[in-house]
Amino acid sequence: MKKKNEVIRFFINLGAFLCVLILVDQLLGRLFFRLYFGQKVGPFHQITYAVDSAKQDIMVFGSSRAERHYSSTILSKNLGYKTYNFGVAGEKIVYSAALQEVAFKRHIPKILILDINPFDISVDPTKYEKLSILIPYYSHHPELLKYIKEIGDFEELKLYSKIYPFNSIFFILAGATLFPNKQDKDDFGYIAQSGNMSAKEANQFKQRLLERYTNLSTAASPTDEKAKGYLIQFLDLAKKNNIKTFVVISPMLFSESYKWNKELDQKVEIEKIIKRYPNVTYWDYSSDTYYNNHSEKFTDMLHLNKEGAEDFTNRLSMEILKALKK
Amino acid sequence: MLFNSFQFIFFYCIVTLFYFLVPKNIKWLILFLASCYFYMAFVPVYILILFSIILIDYWVGIQLESQENPDKKKWLLGLSLTANIGILFFFKYFNFFNTNLDLVLAKFHVSPWFPYLKILLPIGLSFHTFQAMSYTIEVYKGNQKAERNLGIYSLYVMFYPQLVAGPIERPQNIIHQLKEEHPFNYQLMNDGLKLMLWGFFKKLVIADRLAIYVNLIFNYPWLHNGSSVVVASFFFAIQIYCDFSGYSDIAIGCARTMGIDLMRNFNRPYFAENIQEFWRRWHISLSTWFRDYLYFPMGGNRVPFGRLILNIMVVFIISGIWHGANYTFLIWGLLHGFFMLVYILLSPYLPKPSKNLFLRRIQRIVGIGITISLVCFSWIFFRANSLSDALVLIKNLKSIGEIPFRGGATSNFSHCILAILILFIVEFSMEYLPKKYQLYHSGNRFIRWGALTFTIVLILLLGVFNGGQFIYFQF
Repeated sequence: MKKKNEVIRFFINLGAFLCVLILVDQLLGRLFFRLYFGQKVGPFHQITYAVDSAKQDIMVFGSSRAERHYSSTILSKNLGYKTYNFGVAGEKIVYSAALQEVAFKRHIPKILILDINPFDISVDPTKYEKLSILIPYYSHHPELLKYIKEIGDFEELKLYSKIYPFNSIFFILAGATLFPNKQDKDDFGYIAQSGNMSAKEANQFKQRLLERYTNLSTAASPTDEKAKGYLIQFLDLAKKNNIKTFVVISPMLFSESYKWNKELDQKVEIEKIIKRYPNVTYWDYSSDTYYNNHSEKFTDMLHLNKEGAEDFTNRLSMEILKALKK
Repeated sequence: MLFNSFQFIFFYCIVTLFYFLVPKNIKWLILFLASCYFYMAFVPVYILILFSIILIDYWVGIQLESQENPDKKKWLLGLSLTANIGILFFFKYFNFFNTNLDLVLAKFHVSPWFPYLKILLPIGLSFHTFQAMSYTIEVYKGNQKAERNLGIYSLYVMFYPQLVAGPIERPQNIIHQLKEEHPFNYQLMNDGLKLMLWGFFKKLVIADRLAIYVNLIFNYPWLHNGSSVVVASFFFAIQIYCDFSGYSDIAIGCARTMGIDLMRNFNRPYFAENIQEFWRRWHISLSTWFRDYLYFPMGGNRVPFGRLILNIMVVFIISGIWHGANYTFLIWGLLHGFFMLVYILLSPYLPKPSKNLFLRRIQRIVGIGITISLVCFSWIFFRANSLSDALVLIKNLKSIGEIPFRGGATSNFSHCILAILILFIVEFSMEYLPKKYQLYHSGNRFIRWGALTFTIVLILLLGVFNGGQFIYFQF
């Protein structure tokens, strides 16, 4: 009898506790939702605009290298179409494919620019984990579920929690809410980086990379077939909508970077895929000597600074104009 | 099946439900079947290795009990130890041994003798072989009766909560519990679930969060300065503690909900004031295993000083190698042996604990600071991917004044600091405050439920849900 009472007591308490927990989850979830979607500036505002509103005729996709290398204003001025830069730091081709799918439901652009890197299709599970930034949008973009499921097996189950969509962004959200003036202001998605590497710093960094290269195993980095599939999906959708597409590897500080990262196979794979699409023009600036070893144009090995990026955008838009006239 | 997965949550709920629903005489069977399923979720065929160890030790145990002849008893014990250590050596150390042998042979221009094995290490092998060995040793010593029920004995070796990462149990503590009836107990269920929740918090919010930073530094040692190495080794100290003690908390809590009491494995080791105390608080089940079955049989500390040095170094070298077949673990063990010897040598000259409360606190802080620094330094070897990486990291320490790397994701570093702060507050209150001040155990339901809800909210908000397996699974 005592045992039976204990079991009943346990389940009553457990039930009551779960009710409290669900209530707290709902309340806090709603609070975070309001804070998140109430952002007027900062990274979440930028993603929200990209997911919900961007309707420009030139769309730039890619990682942080897209976000920091393609000035929307310069592209708009030189090419005569309004531009939006969908690039987000840390994200890879899967994110670009997701955003392209969402954006195309709203508006079909005239020109697409995809900033690609071999690491977009090399094996790296974090590229899927980083898709978690899409979770807050699932409630009004259910088509994103396909991408959210790539994060892990039980993502759909986790979505029952209203707090979970805001996992791991607490400090960024707090910072953007409390100090909106200190947030990076974007130029239609483009964020310029100030500062540059000194020649000495660049040299030291090169030495460290070489040391790393010699110490890494000789095996080449394997290709992520699923990510390759997303690249094909991206290009297929562009082709289906007959959009002139430019796939670009933007400048790198060191021309040997991909060799040092054992990612040359992925570069060849990308080139092979692109050849199948007549609407796609491919340019590789990674070994352009105009940029290589010019540390004054870079903030780090992967990213051009403001001057470098604006100069690059100007040069690129001239090339695009030429290509469009052909 | 990982503890930090939804599969485990479902598995645990179903097993526990059945455990309380079935009659007393088949409860062990439920746990046995559940343990088989749990183990087979990793590499199914490896359960045959586990069963072969179980069968050998089960047979040896019965033979040992019925045997009067001391020489034959020694022979039987030797058989059990050889079988266990042999399997461990084959799977864990053979390739390491082979690599070193090849290096020696190459010096004499001799071609390699043995091919390399392309096999996966059975998960938790070091844990269950050690647990199996403690059974035969205890039966040999006459401290434990041989178990006649093969099912119960199998369950002793493979009880799922502690199967793959301990605590490494002793037969005296666990076998009788597996035979006893454990009716549903509200208090134990409550305590067990709370402990599991705290274990999940340590793993998801602290260990896996810190791992993001730690991996960036330790996987690319050439790219980071000395300050980053210092931060990363401190973070790793917290990461490995939360990862492993988090696992232990989940294991102990899980068993407790079923009325089974497993031994404590950690006792807030970073509050230790010296290296000896650290080892009394860190991985207690392994430390006491080495103490009882290796250190004491070698004479312990009641031996001449030269022999004491040997005893301590042997124990720590084996402890290092136990963690993995790599020179980094060997050096980690050697360093701890060295620290221990230095402490033993210096302890007569160290100031006695002061009666003045303020001075005592200062002594305590200094002791804790020195111990943590030594332990963090040794973790560099433990975590480094290779000995050459460890040396690069130590070489980088010369640039210690530079600004440390803040991590790839913008907010990760801040999350790490918050996670460490929460851990410190909780562990501090557990170490120095009475139980009634601990939030999970408060007499006030509002505070108790508030603390539990807050923990779950933090897990949802700050937890890393794709952090992967527990570090100690690989051992």
